[in-house]
Amino acid sequence: MRARLPEFPTQHIDRGQEISFSYLGKRMSGLGGDSVAVAMYDNGVRIFSRSLKYHRPRGLYSLDGESANTLMNIDGIPNENAEKRRLRDGMEVSAQNVRGRPDTDFYSFINWFDRFMPAGFYYRMFHRPYKLWPFFLNRIRKMAGVGTLDIHREFDDSRRFEIFLNADVAVIGGGTAGMNAALAAAGQGLRVCLFEHRAWLGGHMDWRVVEFEDEPLFERARGLAKQVEANTQIRLFTQAPVTGIWGNKLITAYQTGKDGEYFDERYIECRAKSVVVASGCIERPLVCNNNERPGVMQVNTAWRLARTYAITPGKRIVFSIGDDLGLEAALDLAELGLKVLAVADARSDKQNADLLTRLQSAGIEYLPGWAASNVKGGKHVRGVELSELNGSQTCSFKCDLLVASAGQQAVIGPLSTAGAKFRYCTETGLFQPTEMPPKMFSAGRMTGLTHPGSIDTSGTIAGLEAAAACDRDVSTNLDAARRAAAKLPGETKGCDLVYGPGIGAGRKAFICFDGDGTFKNAVQSASQGFDAPELAKRFGGFGLGPGQYQVPGQNLAMAMSNINGTPIENSQFTTVRPPLVPLTLATCVGPRHNIYKQTPLHRDQKARGGIFRNAGVWRRARYFSPDLDCRPEIRNVRENVGLLDGSSLGNFRIYGPDALRALQRVYVSNMEKSREGRCKYSAMCNETGNIVDDGVVTKVADDNYYFTTTSNRAGITIEWFRYHTRFDDWDFKLVNLTDSMGSINVAGPNARNLLQKVTKEDLSNEAFPYMAYKELIVGDGVSARCLRLGFVGELSFELHVAASHSQYVWDLLWEAGQEFKVHPFGMEAQNCLRAEKGHVIVGTESEQRVTLLDIGLGFLWDSNDTSSNKVGAPALRACENQQGRMKLVGFRVSESGVTPLDGDIVVDGNDIVGYVCTTRISESLDCSYGMALVKDGYATRGEKIRMCQALGKRHDEYTATVVPPQFYDPDGQRLRT
Amino acid sequence: MSLKLRNNQVKSSETRAICGLERLWGTSPLKSHYDVVLIGGGIHGLATAYYLAKEHGIKDVAVLERRYIGYGGSGRNTAIVRANQRTQENVKLYDEGLKLWPKLIDELDFNLMFFNCGNLNLAHSEAAVSAFRLAVSTANFCNVQSELLDPQQCKELVPALDISDRPYHPIHGGMYHGPGGIVRHDAVVWGLAKGAFKHGAHIHQGVEVLGIDTDGQKITGVQTNRGSISCNRLAVMAGGYSASVCEMVGMELPVHPLTIQAMVTQPLKPFLHHVVSSGAYHCYANQTLKGEVATGAHMDPQVNYSTTPTAWYMKHQAEALCEFLPCLKGVKFMRIWAGLADMTPDMAPIMDGNVMYDGLFIDVGWGYFGFKSGPITGKYMAEFIADDEAPDILKPFALNRFLENRYMGETAGATNYGHWN
Repeated sequence: MRARLPEFPTQHIDRGQEISFSYLGKRMSGLGGDSVAVAMYDNGVRIFSRSLKYHRPRGLYSLDGESANTLMNIDGIPNENAEKRRLRDGMEVSAQNVRGRPDTDFYSFINWFDRFMPAGFYYRMFHRPYKLWPFFLNRIRKMAGVGTLDIHREFDDSRRFEIFLNADVAVIGGGTAGMNAALAAAGQGLRVCLFEHRAWLGGHMDWRVVEFEDEPLFERARGLAKQVEANTQIRLFTQAPVTGIWGNKLITAYQTGKDGEYFDERYIECRAKSVVVASGCIERPLVCNNNERPGVMQVNTAWRLARTYAITPGKRIVFSIGDDLGLEAALDLAELGLKVLAVADARSDKQNADLLTRLQSAGIEYLPGWAASNVKGGKHVRGVELSELNGSQTCSFKCDLLVASAGQQAVIGPLSTAGAKFRYCTETGLFQPTEMPPKMFSAGRMTGLTHPGSIDTSGTIAGLEAAAACDRDVSTNLDAARRAAAKLPGETKGCDLVYGPGIGAGRKAFICFDGDGTFKNAVQSASQGFDAPELAKRFGGFGLGPGQYQVPGQNLAMAMSNINGTPIENSQFTTVRPPLVPLTLATCVGPRHNIYKQTPLHRDQKARGGIFRNAGVWRRARYFSPDLDCRPEIRNVRENVGLLDGSSLGNFRIYGPDALRALQRVYVSNMEKSREGRCKYSAMCNETGNIVDDGVVTKVADDNYYFTTTSNRAGITIEWFRYHTRFDDWDFKLVNLTDSMGSINVAGPNARNLLQKVTKEDLSNEAFPYMAYKELIVGDGVSARCLRLGFVGELSFELHVAASHSQYVWDLLWEAGQEFKVHPFGMEAQNCLRAEKGHVIVGTESEQRVTLLDIGLGFLWDSNDTSSNKVGAPALRACENQQGRMKLVGFRVSESGVTPLDGDIVVDGNDIVGYVCTTRISESLDCSYGMALVKDGYATRGEKIRMCQALGKRHDEYTATVVPPQFYDPDGQRLRT
Repeated sequence: MSLKLRNNQVKSSETRAICGLERLWGTSPLKSHYDVVLIGGGIHGLATAYYLAKEHGIKDVAVLERRYIGYGGSGRNTAIVRANQRTQENVKLYDEGLKLWPKLIDELDFNLMFFNCGNLNLAHSEAAVSAFRLAVSTANFCNVQSELLDPQQCKELVPALDISDRPYHPIHGGMYHGPGGIVRHDAVVWGLAKGAFKHGAHIHQGVEVLGIDTDGQKITGVQTNRGSISCNRLAVMAGGYSASVCEMVGMELPVHPLTIQAMVTQPLKPFLHHVVSSGAYHCYANQTLKGEVATGAHMDPQVNYSTTPTAWYMKHQAEALCEFLPCLKGVKFMRIWAGLADMTPDMAPIMDGNVMYDGLFIDVGWGYFGFKSGPITGKYMAEFIADDEAPDILKPFALNRFLENRYMGETAGATNYGHWN
């Protein structure tokens, strides 16, 4: 660390806090408040990285992360912007995109080969002969990219959070315009959120020492900041860059935690009623030869190094500027004792006369109508050539710092993502908003104002307008503010310099730093037909790098209209895309959101050794057997009795005078036939006749039904009913009971014996037959809805009980089942059992090529019904007798050698004619069986079909016989006894 | 003072000598009649123009583009190419398409940057593994390379994957398709434009079709913002805007335009050498030649014509990526954009000719498969237009399949896009 400039109130450093860090293994130190880049600069680092294409040395150009120049690897994380990252003790920093060290980069020779890399050269080279392309491809890949990601490094995301805010007025930009806007809105009693990307408020006033109304600008700004901080109506977010404004005034940002805060970074979403954007300006780079050499920096960079960080930016300084701020900076640095050799000003008139006088008295050479034309020096600036804009005169200076800018460009990002339209203003030289989205207002420098009073007043006006948009009556205040503004200076003349004099072909005059896009590349793009900025951007690679539009944005637009010879006021800015600043993925995620539903028996099932899988929004026990074949589970259900937690199954109540009509609409069967005390199995189709759901419906009482859906479908069942009855004005209520109920299936030959032990109700076959429904009292008076169903093909009772009673009932059954050696079973066992029985699962045995009829469930459809407009009925009718459709068949494989698997294909010659939906080896049948969807020509009983398993190079073929899919107990004896 | 560029700067002998800076495709006068008019200056329109002019000698062709070529889906997709679809009809077409890239690069003398990196699809459940088995067997049966991997093999292929139990959807396996990869999408647009122009087709940018003229049963021309143009044959290849173009002749297509978004991270040195995609997370990621991780997949389910990205999408994508590629947690998003996908109910395209009117051809409903199929579709659509008879390979994609309720099986589940179906 070098000696810093004397203390001054504009500074934001803590001289008492020395921070040590390492850069490329070398120990360095900085002060509290330094950014990494600033501290590195102070330690003498001048080359921070190498450029993407030409490997040109790149240095500290901006301080707010406008380019990829200072992307570093910090603590193992690539592409960290050293300009924005606050220095911390022990940081390890290294350079990126270099082979060796940044100052002696091996690939720096590429800089000489730019002739062979015109715009779009990739597309014209390397492809002939084609067999060499993979070689070049790998070279290109290795040369591309910036940082290196360590894929094995664990990223600590434990301190990433998120907040979701609502505000009456959101203000973007904490400069004096933004602060005035926030105060004005807050003064109306509105809730305001203010977002500022720097760690402090004040914008570009923060380091300016000139006086306005007898007070230095920075003190004025700090006074205002104190008011903002003290205002309880304003929620202030500093270090919080806005990443975009989205539909309907949703603002996203992220905030970096200060020392001692509970988060590293947090993601912010703020929904505002109205928005003030006062995002200010950044500098527009001067496009001249070698304009990105280390040692060339923006006016505010040099200025802030000195004023904010007390660092000497250079020993011999030349300025080439385009606005009064440049003049003010030159004077200010000179007053700090720095050596300012000359100031070239791209403007020839309308300068601030007072500044010119002071410049003269300071003895600084001033060249109006001049600009830098060439920067000399290899790895660092050694001198600069200044030329008159018409090219008639040139002079050189030896210097180590060129402070260069072509004036300002508005930060159009936030407004642009919000949908505002911009137009180039020939007076101010800025792209200014011409059409604002509703309830959005702009203020400050981005509107072309430079006078501090005008900037402040514009903020007040915008804040009041935003308040008015929140229905506050602010007419008196607004009139007063507008009258005040009318007396203040308006828009000021800006700089319209497109490029510096003597640019020649512009071989090394960079419009885009990150993509190494030169002025020459822009010309080349245009001459190949890519003449609009949007096309040149893609073809020449302008503004596609990490800094996005910030460096090239306005310059590209101006250069293209210049090259095309079209009026500059018609020039177009390329689309600005969010995020406006790079957003770390872990920050965007915030805390991990993945949540799933647990059944009321989740913990119990886990304790019993359940192996869980995701099932839609649920997590369910799929296996209770480590071998995943589930043999013991299956055998136990077939021979004894098993318990299944089926709580994810959808349960619904529908009631009201039109409940039946609604059921008639969505179910394919005649639901008038559902009777009290009976379960009716039916299905729902979509409008193309695909089955989307199946389940049972029972009539509980008149106009009162209870029905089940598949687990997957439960979430959208209510919407489905509502959608398909939306024009009917029917009176029915629908309640989703899924989450409030648990479901336990008691299945197996001993099911009745077991269940009878916990209830007094008569469960005999006569009193409670197959497909019957009863409300039971079990144990100590818990009521349960009991459905006698048989999905798994055995005698079974499904008990639906309140979620809070589920564990009690399970325990009761478990206890009672001990004498039968009851065992739990999971989804996979259930899957095998039901497949043996030929029961389909929606989505497994059905797909979009087949209708309800094709999968053998045509018997459910009440095809005579024409009055209730059943969903899917027209489609079913249309393809009732169609040929050439796929059909669901059962098959058996008697061959040994190949084990059929789900997904095997059915083939005939060179054609694929179907595939296997589900197949398992059956212990009870002693063969492989399954269900397949095949074209109807192959669906005849007894047909021999060829199956093929081609999972790698080998194709295994085997033969199967088409059989009815009811393999097990085809007559249903076991269900009914 | 804006400086006018001096002539000698643009035409400096130096720049000319190096890259032969002629326009890639020239401008042509807008004629009042063309034999064939193609609506849509994307990959499909340009490829069709190219093949019509080159292989069928039909050079009196105009491509009409409302904005600039490649403005729509062709310039907004994430450039993945593959041929491991679910059904034989699709695999055949996409396989030919995949094999076309090297040939096209040579023909056009334009490097389309085909990166044959292979595609890895992740399965996050037993059911997904079964679904992959079907796709793998289908592909191999059609002589397209594809294989089923277990989680360990997935990890060997893509070491950055998290195959532990930590993710919400743990990885159960994968399907690897070696012949696939990525192609530089913009280059395909430009290369085809170059080729089409070279063979005599006209490419008109900034020409918006406002109406379609018919006479009895025949198409006679189009109304545009630059006057009317008569033609003998007309093809609609307008991507996301196809449905609205077809509505001009009263043809209601079963096509829903939906917004689909994609994004890239900041560029990194190569670490991801394959396209990785995950159905359960609705997410895919691949590293472009520039080093950015390009990612997308999820679709906003509301029918609309918006190409404005949304904040939640970025969050969704970050959440998904951090799950199965946790090394991306510290990586930064750089840019998000949106485009339109013209979705059909069965997620397969509609390619047909002489529908409703003689001389009206449609090549629409590509959803998010429009890029990978572009040139090969152009080739067959050109054949279709030239011979007035559908090539066999296109026959399964005819419009009447919807009238007959015979969907193609590209997705297993009944699709939920668009209105409630």
